[in-house]
Amino acid sequence: MPKLEDEIIRRQRERARITALLLGAFVILLFFITLAKTGINW
Amino acid sequence: MPAIEMTNPAALPADWRDFVALTKPRVMSLVVFTGLAGLLLAPELPPFALGFTAILCIALGAGACGALNQWYEAEIDAKMRRTAKRPLPAGRMDRQSALHFGVGLAFFSVILMGLATNWLAAIFLTASILFYVLVYTVWLKPRTAQNIVIGGAAGAFPPLIGWVAATGHVSALPLLLFAIIFLWTPPHFWALSLFVRSDYAAAGIPMLPVVAGFESTRRQIFLYSLPMAAAAVAPWPLGLAGPVYGLSAAVLSFVFLVLAGRVLASRATEPAQMDAEKHLFAYSVFYLFALFTVLVADQWIH
Repeated sequence: MPKLEDEIIRRQRERARITALLLGAFVILLFFITLAKTGINW
Repeated sequence: MPAIEMTNPAALPADWRDFVALTKPRVMSLVVFTGLAGLLLAPELPPFALGFTAILCIALGAGACGALNQWYEAEIDAKMRRTAKRPLPAGRMDRQSALHFGVGLAFFSVILMGLATNWLAAIFLTASILFYVLVYTVWLKPRTAQNIVIGGAAGAFPPLIGWVAATGHVSALPLLLFAIIFLWTPPHFWALSLFVRSDYAAAGIPMLPVVAGFESTRRQIFLYSLPMAAAAVAPWPLGLAGPVYGLSAAVLSFVFLVLAGRVLASRATEPAQMDAEKHLFAYSVFYLFALFTVLVADQWIH
């Protein structure tokens, strides 16, 4: 059973890490979309 | 829909790699490529961030289609050797996760497309997702041997979406690109279905070789290749592309017809003997990549 719990925690951690990365990437993308839509030159 | 047996303990959350597998990354690569070609062919290019977002949305929309397709067909996939190792039939993921993931991706891609580019592109993206999931997967695929012919429209949308995301309107060239992919889909899929016929038969899917036999399928492959070749060359005489594209398309299409002719002449009934069918299937993927690459290069030369 401890092995199964370890695996559950490992997978949850991995998924949380990837979700955080994707959210960060989305925020950056929104920033650049806003710049492009408002016509602000970088 | 009856639930599929899980070989994995329900408490174990699915691995993130299985969510990636759910999006059918290989299919997605062709969708992204044709969508990008549509965007690059547009007379005016959007700012990089918006073009990138448009392609991202096309990719996510294709991923949503893949996930919802695998959610709906989990039991059929379990019966076919080619698909039995996918996350749902292999029991590595529960069905509800796949459904939530697919629906979430679909909504996210459409809303982001509308906000970042324009709502006409978002409408086309919605249409392509609904067409693939409801018209092709749910309605046509289990019912008729013409599933691929009509369902091919779903895969033909990406260049149109790419173009509309860049320009905000539809014109002749993206419609022609739609027609090329639409006519390319039947010979491409029927070549595959000839050498995986037993899989489709075991799963009870009425693909053309299962319903009409080898000879009829081979004839249909050749017959569909003719209008496909004509549509591929058409941008040149219509003045929508230059001679670089026209001549390249003619050569590429000629090779396609030669390979389709070899399939027509083949009498093989065992997958191991179906070299002509396997060559046509492999070449058909290269053909679409090459055709769209040359078309973009031709537009840039002029």
